Amino acid sequence: MSAIDPISVEVIGSALNSIAEEMGEALVRASYSTNIKERRDCSTALFDKDGLTICQAEHIPMHLGSFIGFIPYILDKIGTGGIRRGDVFIGNDAYAGGGTHLPDIVLAEPIFFESEIVAWAINTAHHADFADRGHAHIFQEGLRIPPVRLYREGKVQDDLRELLLLNCQVPRERLSDINAQLAANRLGSGRVIDLFGKFGREKLFSAWRALQDYSERKMRAGIAAISDGIYRFEDPFESNQHPDSMLFKVAVRIEGDSMSLEFDAPAQVRAGLNLVYTSLLSACYYAVKSAVDPTILPNAGLARPLKITAPLGSILNCVHPAAVDGRIAACQRVADLVHGALAQAIPDQVAAAGNGCCTGAIFNGEQINGDSWVYLETIGGGGGARPRADGMSGIQVHLTNTSNLPVEAMEREYPLTLLRYELVDGSAGPGTFRGGMGIRRVYRAERACRFIVEGSRLRSRPWGLAGGLEGAGAKFSLDDHPFECSGTRDLRPGQIVVIETPGGGGYGPPSSRPEGMISADVADGRIDKEFARRIYAKE
Amino acid sequence: MAWRVGVDSGGTFTDVCLYHEESGRFEQWKVPSTPEDPSLGIATSVAEGLAKVGAAADEISYFGHGTTVATNSLIELRGAKTGLITTGGFRDLLEIGRQMRPSLYDMMAEKPPVLVPRRLRREVPERIRFDGAVETPLDLKRLRDEAARLADDGIEAVAICFLYGYLDPRHEKAAKEVVQEEFAGFVSTSHEIAPEFREFERLSATVVNAFLGPVMKRYIERLSERLRAAGMSAAPHMTQSNGGVIGFETAARLPVRTLLSGPSTGVVAAQEIARKAGFENVMTFDMGGTSSDVALLENLECKRSKDSVVHGYPIKTPMLDIHTVGAGGGSIAAMDSGGLLKVGPRSAGAVPGPACYGMGGIEATVTDANVVLQTLNPSQLLSGRMKLRRDLAHDAVDRLSRELGLGLCETAQGIISVATANMAKALRVVSVERGFDPREHALVAFGGGGPLHAARLAKELEIEKIVVPPTPGSLCALGLLLTDLKADFTASRIVPLDYDAAPVIEDMLQHLIRQAGNWFENESIPLEGRSLLRASDLRYAGQNYELQVPFPPGPPNARSIDGLKRKFEEAHRRQFGFASPDDAVELVALRLEAVGTVSKAALRRSETAACGIDPAPIGERDVWMPEFSERVPCPVFDRGDLEYGHLLKGPAIVEQMDTTTLILPDMRAAVDRFENLIMDFG
Repeated sequence: MSAIDPISVEVIGSALNSIAEEMGEALVRASYSTNIKERRDCSTALFDKDGLTICQAEHIPMHLGSFIGFIPYILDKIGTGGIRRGDVFIGNDAYAGGGTHLPDIVLAEPIFFESEIVAWAINTAHHADFADRGHAHIFQEGLRIPPVRLYREGKVQDDLRELLLLNCQVPRERLSDINAQLAANRLGSGRVIDLFGKFGREKLFSAWRALQDYSERKMRAGIAAISDGIYRFEDPFESNQHPDSMLFKVAVRIEGDSMSLEFDAPAQVRAGLNLVYTSLLSACYYAVKSAVDPTILPNAGLARPLKITAPLGSILNCVHPAAVDGRIAACQRVADLVHGALAQAIPDQVAAAGNGCCTGAIFNGEQINGDSWVYLETIGGGGGARPRADGMSGIQVHLTNTSNLPVEAMEREYPLTLLRYELVDGSAGPGTFRGGMGIRRVYRAERACRFIVEGSRLRSRPWGLAGGLEGAGAKFSLDDHPFECSGTRDLRPGQIVVIETPGGGGYGPPSSRPEGMISADVADGRIDKEFARRIYAKE
Repeated sequence: MAWRVGVDSGGTFTDVCLYHEESGRFEQWKVPSTPEDPSLGIATSVAEGLAKVGAAADEISYFGHGTTVATNSLIELRGAKTGLITTGGFRDLLEIGRQMRPSLYDMMAEKPPVLVPRRLRREVPERIRFDGAVETPLDLKRLRDEAARLADDGIEAVAICFLYGYLDPRHEKAAKEVVQEEFAGFVSTSHEIAPEFREFERLSATVVNAFLGPVMKRYIERLSERLRAAGMSAAPHMTQSNGGVIGFETAARLPVRTLLSGPSTGVVAAQEIARKAGFENVMTFDMGGTSSDVALLENLECKRSKDSVVHGYPIKTPMLDIHTVGAGGGSIAAMDSGGLLKVGPRSAGAVPGPACYGMGGIEATVTDANVVLQTLNPSQLLSGRMKLRRDLAHDAVDRLSRELGLGLCETAQGIISVATANMAKALRVVSVERGFDPREHALVAFGGGGPLHAARLAKELEIEKIVVPPTPGSLCALGLLLTDLKADFTASRIVPLDYDAAPVIEDMLQHLIRQAGNWFENESIPLEGRSLLRASDLRYAGQNYELQVPFPPGPPNARSIDGLKRKFEEAHRRQFGFASPDDAVELVALRLEAVGTVSKAALRRSETAACGIDPAPIGERDVWMPEFSERVPCPVFDRGDLEYGHLLKGPAIVEQMDTTTLILPDMRAAVDRFENLIMDFG
């Protein structure tokens, strides 16, 4: 490996990063479905010729799981020799090609420089489709697509496209969104080729090896600063798809500058909650990076000091044909687990548990002309309290960071009215620093349609740290009737769905909370006087 | 009555430009700013400037002012105690925002503080639907109660934002009337501030406006009073974020529009400099102490930014697409835990400042690196008004070089290279990310640090030409004498772009033209000075982001609608690499920019070139250059000695009062007839 100076690495690293970000912006702006254009539920990245991450734009950490298996699968199956300039691969399957759930459709394009593949442009977008399906096993969850060529040498494969679109509920959106994904990769590919022209092949290859080494060094530096030992944590997981509580456990072992994370969890379930191994990896990469050193570049190097295991066939490392659609719910709990364990070693670097969910509300129905519509929203909640600050209210946590759909966009596109969108009083976990507040979102159906809510922290609660108390759990109701276990439900015009997401846990004992902050919370209606008296012993 | 005066009041200095309309005489003046009451420094600067040219205040025919009052009040959260009135069920929208957290991985990162505490956010029953139908009429009694309670709470300003207020403002208008009956302070409504869809961004802009309103009003009153007392009778004007100027009265009502007051005037000045120098496509590069502002001008026009965010707050109000990056002379260089060199965004600021200022700073900054390399005069700045401590710069850079295992000068150059990469990234945001090729643009470099770093930056981005104006350090003040009066009007309504839409679009257009007409009247712009620029925001039906395309003159008809569609397709192809000619196109907003032309300062122009005689350097110093990996002797010129026709070969350094220009070894610099330095790699 040729030596490269640290300054060139920084310069090339900035250039690669801005390419990934630029791809992401192009994807959002050119797309058609609300989940991508407004909620930004998509990610873009560049991979090296061996299928290792060079950089990922700062969108959705969960999506890394869809990327890391994709290119190795193609290289393994087809080999570099069989890939031509202008080929574009499409795929989504969790067992063939490394996806994490079927709605995240990946598009990847090889980048050629001087007749040789030098890198890959890759992106994924969460297509709000495959709605109102079963989740006993993956065959019920939607169309499975292994990485196959949608374009061969620049020519679209119409037969394949027809097959895909026929299996989608909103084909018009799928087609346009896939075009936007294609445009994003093409843009990234052109930019990377320009970089090769400018810096030359050898310099770029050494630069991104150096960037991966750099992430590894930073990860090792961060781990080495943690005292050696084994840190254990356990946390129950339940979901409205599977209301029985399941106990997840982790043992985080720190040895010098290496970390191993050993998980234990019950056997995989007949519900869309299972994690394939790449899902577990993306959850762990997020959780470790955010606690150890948030500035580490998200590339393949950060994984080198980590060893991650979970029993094969368990919900955290499932085998075919387990259903995976709602895998993010369990991924969020994995992130909670890792933070809970690390809090014992580095209490100043982690927050108490946040809402710990990715509460989803999916509505679907038919337009007057018979075409289907699907509207997907994931709703934020409380962030966990921090060692020196309250948690943030109404945010997405951990593996997701999607935006909300503006009311003024939603009501125009779908036969729904949003009656309230507000923070839930009393939902924040008390503490010296309190958690963030959960969100209440109230929908009214204007026409007959169907809906399903996906959530967790129904019975378990987001935990506090260092004496901080737990936050409130999630609550759902239909026309004032609370419900917990959910399948798809029919809605009549005028029916009202209320979704309340959990608050974040508190940090530090409530008795140490400064008077001024308690009275401000009372004045702001975040807690009432009775609550203040009871929890904070304040008159 | 013949002096035009421009005053740019910044954090450190207040710059004044005076221009005599008849004789073309042009003078500049610089005084220290008075941050506790900026109007004081402004009045002083004007009085001193006038004394210098021997004129009286009543001879001022035009007064233009650029200010950081709004920006600073927002950064430092020194705005008014503000209340908010929203649609029932939506008071927390201000706090939830788009529900995204500020940093993906850093759990400790904070959202920008919410400007209205929850206790002052009040809801009233009312609901207009997406199609304009009223589902729930505005509850006037409840509104009156809430307004009265807010007044009792001692607020100074109220923001009113209802769902679909942009579509049908009747509830907001009615609410404003009632609130004003109960409360004498500042009121701002969302349809007046940002009449566009996406409720959170509109709400945010409305709240920021209310938060700044009382502060700006007080500032303007104080300043007007001082200027009147000094004997000035001309109506004062203030620059706004879109590069135009508005009367003080409008600025007091719409302070949110002045958040980029300072940087936007720099862009306007650079635009005029570029026009005269014969460039159509340029990027501006304004480098100051803590940050750099960059913008791109295509055919000499700077695009408007959409979804503008200032200090973390969405503003939604017309502003130039200016991108700011935390890379300035005071940016701190340090090695991170992975062993890479990082520069900024942490800055040593004005206090303690770079290590070489000798005011207690010990970390190496970009300025210290320049002192070590000797690209910057290592002993003094500001024509000797400020002494520099070369030894302290050396110590600071040396500490870092030992951590990095590099030589002293290699480290100093490394700091410059990393800072240059950061600035290049900012220029890429306004160029490549918007579909423009930086290599096809000249770089106009100004601000205290722009001309010093422009050459390296141009090299990095393969930019061929650099323009350094005659007075780069006070270009913003000059810009105030070069700008027209401008106001923006928007009609937001989703219309399918087909032939049937012509009458609807015509209605929207006429509505805007009427609004613009009123504004022209208020600003007393004579008929011959009025012009209107039309633009439309278009997208494919189903998309949610629009591309702005100029709207053709004349009443809309089949031909102009076809032309508009073609223009949109071209823009879409350029931005995203594809177009879908079979898909339906929607018009989302029609925009009218009203321009009131005022007589402007003319840039000084030389007719005869100084032929054959090259300027004599005022000295020589050894500058470390990575091209040679050693110090090489470099002639130093005084900018005042350079005349039209002169040609300098690099390496060379040009010094003037508040700026230093670096010409690299493989470059040359020619002085054009407007006294600009035009640098290229010839």
